[in-house]
Amino acid sequence: MSLRFDVIGAGIATSGLPDWPALQAALDGRGLAEDGKSPPSALLSPRERRRAPRAAKLSFAAAEQACAMAGLKPAEPVAVFSSGMGDLDITDYMCRTLKEHPELLSPTRFHNSVHNAASGYWSIGAGATGDVTAISGWRDSATAGLLEALARLNDADHPVLLVVYDDLAQGPMRSLWPTEHAFSGALVLTRAGHSKPLARLTADTSNAPEQHDALPDELTARIADNPAARLLPLLALIAGKGAQVTLASEQGPGLRISRAET
Amino acid sequence: MKPLTITAMTLTCAAGTGLDAVRRALAEGRSGLRANDFPHCSLDTWIGRVDGVEEIDLAGDLAEFDCRNNRLAMLGLQQDDFIARVDALKTRIPADRIACIIGTSTAGIGVTEEAYRDMGEDEVFQPRHRLPRVHTPHTSAAFAARVLGLDGPVLTISTACSSSAKVFASAARLIEAGLADAAVVGGVDSLCLSVLYGFHSLDLVSDQPCRPFDRARKGLSLGEAAGFAILENDAATGFGQLLGWGESSDAHHMASPHPEGAGAAAAMREALQRSALGNAAIGYINCHGTATPLNDEVEARAIASVFDHPPPAASTKGWTGHTLGAAGIAESVFSLMALRDEFLPAGLNLDDPEEEWAGFILRQSRQQRVDAVLSNSFGFGGSNCSLIFGRLAP
Repeated sequence: MSLRFDVIGAGIATSGLPDWPALQAALDGRGLAEDGKSPPSALLSPRERRRAPRAAKLSFAAAEQACAMAGLKPAEPVAVFSSGMGDLDITDYMCRTLKEHPELLSPTRFHNSVHNAASGYWSIGAGATGDVTAISGWRDSATAGLLEALARLNDADHPVLLVVYDDLAQGPMRSLWPTEHAFSGALVLTRAGHSKPLARLTADTSNAPEQHDALPDELTARIADNPAARLLPLLALIAGKGAQVTLASEQGPGLRISRAET
Repeated sequence: MKPLTITAMTLTCAAGTGLDAVRRALAEGRSGLRANDFPHCSLDTWIGRVDGVEEIDLAGDLAEFDCRNNRLAMLGLQQDDFIARVDALKTRIPADRIACIIGTSTAGIGVTEEAYRDMGEDEVFQPRHRLPRVHTPHTSAAFAARVLGLDGPVLTISTACSSSAKVFASAARLIEAGLADAAVVGGVDSLCLSVLYGFHSLDLVSDQPCRPFDRARKGLSLGEAAGFAILENDAATGFGQLLGWGESSDAHHMASPHPEGAGAAAAMREALQRSALGNAAIGYINCHGTATPLNDEVEARAIASVFDHPPPAASTKGWTGHTLGAAGIAESVFSLMALRDEFLPAGLNLDDPEEEWAGFILRQSRQQRVDAVLSNSFGFGGSNCSLIFGRLAP
C-alpha cells in the first residue's frame, strides 16, 4: 500500500527547539536553542492563554507554526490531534480533588479533562467548523496520527493538519510516564501535486522496526525521552535530512516514509 | 461512499448484556437505570451500571490491562459470539488487514483515581496500580486488539461523547484508503468518579431517571456500555449497512452546544450527502438526546432545520443512561436493531413532550419497517458525528 502526499507546513515546540528554524539549526549541528521560546499563540488572547489547559498551549505552539508556514488560516484544514496521554496536568488535578474533596471539582477543569480539549480549543480559537478529531496510540501516537491523517487525505481533497504532542506527567504518574520534556510537532499535509511543497513524500505500510538516519545526539535523546518526539525524524526528513524514516507501532503496521520519486 | 456491511455486532449496557437482553428490555419498556450505588460516590442520582463487570477476571497476559473499562470490554466481547465472529473473519481476511478502532472517553481513569486514593504520603502508586497500559486513553483499543488478535491499524478515538460514532468514519476512511480490508469498531466507557462528580459540577446531572425531550427533564443519567461491530466490504448478509457519515465542529464552547445547532445540522447534512439518500429516505432518528434542558432543544431544532418533515425520532438514553464515549456505538446498535427488527423504540419517561419544537419525537415504540436510520452523537469540545445506516436487501 503506497500513499503519496505533500507536506506544505511544519512546526515544532519543545524546550531547545521552539520553532522550525531552531530545528534546522540543530540538524545542522549548531545545537539546541536553550533560551528560545515558541512564538505566543495568536489564537488565544492573553487571558485565554492563562486559562487554557496545558495540552492546548503545547499543541497550539506547533500547530500555529505549521499553518502559518502552509499559508493557511488555522480554520482551513481538518485537524487530527494525536496524544498518548492527553493532559497529564489535569489528570493529576482531577485525581487529587476526587480523593480529597470530590464535591469541589472545578467544572471548567472537568470539561478541560476530555482528551479532545486541545482540539476543541483549537476549533473554538480558529473558528474551525470542519472536523477536528482527537486520537491516541499511547507510545505510538505519531504513527497512529499519521495513519489517520493519510486516510483523511485520501477521503477528501482538503489539507489535513496533524499535531502530535505529549506533556510530562505531574506527581505520581511520573514513574509510569517518565518524560522530561514536553513535545509537540505539527504537519500540514495535502494530496500529491501541490505547487510549492516543503517535501513530496511516499508512505508505505511496514512491519519493520523503527528506523531513521543518524541525527545529532541532542535530538536522539529527545526521541528516547518523549514518544511524541518520535515525529522528529519525519520532521528532519521534511527539513531535508535523511532519505527514509520508519515509524513503527507495537500493534498493527507502521509506516515507512521516503521522498517521492519525481 | 461505498457502503460497508455490519456483519456482526454486540452491545452490553445497563439495559442488558448482549443483544437478546437489550431487545427484551426495549420490548418491555424496562429501563436499566438504578439509584446510584457506585462505590465512593454519594451523589443523589440514577446510573446505568452494568451488572457482572466486577466478576470479570483479566488474568495471564491480560492482567496488565486490568481496569473496569477493560473488564466491561471483555464482558461485551464475550456476548453474541462476537469473538467467534472475529475468528471467522480472520479466516477470510488476514489479521493484519483488519483494523481495530475503539472510541472511549473514560478509558482506564477509574484505576488512576483508585491509585491516587490508595497511595500513601510517599505519593507512590501501589504495585497493583502500576499498569502503564491502563493509565492511557489508548487502553481500550490496545486491549480489544490484543484479545481479538488483530494486527491491522489500532486506533483510539477520544472526542468525548462522539468518540464511538467517529470510529465508523475512521474505519470507512482506512478501508477506502487501502490501509485495511475490514474493521472491528467499538466503544467502551465505564462509570468512574471523574464523570459522576464532573457532570455534577456542571449541574448537568438529574436526581431522577433521565427524561429526554420531556418538559420536566432536569439533566442526564450517567451510564456505561461496551459495544462492538465488524465492518466489511461486499458482504451479502448482516445487520445493515453504513451508508454515510458526517463530522463537524461547533467552534463555539467546550461544554455547551452551539445555540442554533449549526454544527449538529452540518454533521447530519454531510452524512445525508455521503449516503446519496434524499432526506425522505430516513425513517427514524436515534437522537443524542441526553435530557439536559439545552441539548435536547438544540438538537430538535437542528433536526427541524435539516428535515422539512422530520421522521419519528427518539433518544434511547432512558434505557442505558448517557454512556459517553460508548454512546455512539450503543446507539448505532440500537439503530441497526431498529432496521433489522423493524421496531422503532420511543424514549422512556416522556410524559409531557415539548410539542412546540419536538412534535416529531416518538411517544410510543412501534413495529415499523424503515429503510434508513440516522444516529446522532455530539460531544464536549463541540465534536459532532452523524451516521446513516441502511437496511440490507433481504
